[in-house]
Amino acid sequence: MRTNYVINSGVRFSMFSQDQLEEMFWGVLHLLEYTGLDVMHDEAREILKGAGAWVEGKRVRLPSYLVKKSLQMAPRSFTLFARDGNPKHNIKIGPGRAHFGPGPTCTHFIDPETMERRPYTKADVPLVAKMVDALPNIDFCESLGTVGDVHYDLGALYEFAGMFPNTSKPIVAWSYDKFDSAGIHEIAVAEAGGQEAFEHRPNYVHYCEPLSPLVSTFEAIDKLIFAARHRIPLIFTPCPIAGGTAPITGAGIITQGAAESWMGLTLAQALQPGLPFFMGGVYSVMDMNTMILAYGAPELPLFMAGLTELAHYAGLPLWQTGGCTDSKTFDGQAMIEGSMSVFFSALTGGDLCHDVGYTESAMTGSLFQLCAMDEAIGYARRITRGIEVTDETLAVDVIKAVGPNGHYLKQPQTRKLFKTEFWYPNLIDRQDFESWDMSGRLTMKDRTIARVRDILATHRPSAVKPETHKVIEKVLEEAEDRVKDKK
Amino acid sequence: MSDILETISTAVIEGDVDEMVDLTEDALDEGLSAQEILDNGLMAGMDYVGVEFKAGNMFVPEVLRSAKAMQTAMDILKPLLVESGAPMVGKVLLATVKGDLHDIGKNLVGMMCEGAGFEVKDIGKDIEPEAFVAAVKEFEPDVVGMSALLTTTMRMMGHTIKALEEAGLRDRVKVMIGGAPVTQAFADEIGADGYASNAATAADLAKTFVSAA
Repeated sequence: MRTNYVINSGVRFSMFSQDQLEEMFWGVLHLLEYTGLDVMHDEAREILKGAGAWVEGKRVRLPSYLVKKSLQMAPRSFTLFARDGNPKHNIKIGPGRAHFGPGPTCTHFIDPETMERRPYTKADVPLVAKMVDALPNIDFCESLGTVGDVHYDLGALYEFAGMFPNTSKPIVAWSYDKFDSAGIHEIAVAEAGGQEAFEHRPNYVHYCEPLSPLVSTFEAIDKLIFAARHRIPLIFTPCPIAGGTAPITGAGIITQGAAESWMGLTLAQALQPGLPFFMGGVYSVMDMNTMILAYGAPELPLFMAGLTELAHYAGLPLWQTGGCTDSKTFDGQAMIEGSMSVFFSALTGGDLCHDVGYTESAMTGSLFQLCAMDEAIGYARRITRGIEVTDETLAVDVIKAVGPNGHYLKQPQTRKLFKTEFWYPNLIDRQDFESWDMSGRLTMKDRTIARVRDILATHRPSAVKPETHKVIEKVLEEAEDRVKDKK
Repeated sequence: MSDILETISTAVIEGDVDEMVDLTEDALDEGLSAQEILDNGLMAGMDYVGVEFKAGNMFVPEVLRSAKAMQTAMDILKPLLVESGAPMVGKVLLATVKGDLHDIGKNLVGMMCEGAGFEVKDIGKDIEPEAFVAAVKEFEPDVVGMSALLTTTMRMMGHTIKALEEAGLRDRVKVMIGGAPVTQAFADEIGADGYASNAATAADLAKTFVSAA
């Protein structure tokens, strides 16, 4: 037995000191108290006013005690459940746990057959969900695209309807408005077995995006209100661009973005105390030459690491970002940018890391980037798992038994641990030259393409209940009917 | 080139906003015409800025500062140019379409167009087709620029073009569109005259519209 002994599980990583975190935390509270945000939703302003906010026109300012109270009400730890009860597909949110998944709303997609960039369609949704379901290091599902071949208003609904039956991993559902949100919720609740069952075992998370700088848009707030009233775990995540829609400094963009999230938090907790709530975002830079929001810039993982520490200091889980690139294709740039951000995200323990599989600065979704990043995440996870120090792992007895000039291949410890101590790649090649030559000189890209196509051809996700299929059809029919006269 | 024109050109390149009023007045005092100052001082500087920006040697904040310097001088020169009947580069009307509040890209287009010598009227964000029509009537632009970030609001660009047609104004303006989800194919589909994928090419596109006119 050990006494007064500290164990570090995994690799430690930190940026800010306690003093810096406290200063940033109070920076956010001051921003909310003295500047506030414009909240473009009448009912939301009334609710916030009732909770203790100061309202002048559209501007809402929050006293710091109210934000602190709201932070206290939100849980740091909870579980998102696989729709089919498969415990391996559950996500346990809590300290020191990093999870990964794709992002939403790319207008384009890399065609899995032709490898060409083309508009994203309804038929692509099940492919993404299947890949997510099959890849061992991808934990939650988003669609990697905006469905372009249905009515403009129904893209998000078709997206969820396509994802839900094709993966049992928890889904992060993006939507345009509360009509989408209601349809999505109806499908998820049907599978869960009713609203109460859903509240006990939520199988998806609702995603809303306010506008930087300092605007809570009508749609974002309207969706938030729907999610809070139905006790759907919530992500409220701005996309500030340093130098464009946010200050150019890391501390500045984090302060502004956190304030944007915490306005949503305060409203959500006023409506539904204890609602699971992720703050977060995509925090990166505006490239001052190309004017794009850079998804591969080193500042993205850096800003996100700082934001993660602030979120955890404040007691909230974080919606992280990584595995994405500004590259247009499957190349060295895509692998450097994606892998570095994935590794950095894993180090921070940011709770749900999204946008894995984004290319072309979030304009094009790629199953190949997603599949390669699954490998990078596996690699990163082996590092962040760290080194265990016990009498057994110190292996003094084993070293003594082998002695000078011996070998460890036949040691019982080697046999016992070789599968768990080491990480085994799926895509990375470690053959000698001759074997690689004989096996066709395949590159990382070749192997990734083969794996993507193999999974799409062979993987069978668990089915949803037959009655859920009927609900999906009904929801889509009703939605088509609702928008049929709208151009 | 006279010394003063070269100084003005350099001030534009360096984004020396504070000096522009004095320099412009000095040039006029020396007897140079507004047109000469514009063509050989201000535009010479902005042309250099454009080349350096495209080469990756100058960056957006510097370009915007140069555009601001140019506009400062233009405030003095514009009445004189109008008086002399000299042709202006042209007028651009800008807004994000109804339902869309994302305006950082549109703001950049406005500043880039100003840098290219256009008179820019930015009527803001979340603008209804009818408000576009009213602004076109009032401001009489050569070019109308619309932007949208959302796939849901993109279609309002088509509706806005239709509103311009119905008001009988479509032939009087060139319409250019932009925004993250917008493509050339979409521009063709809704009958826009052009599409630009970023603010700098939007300014170039606007220039081709007025030089072709």
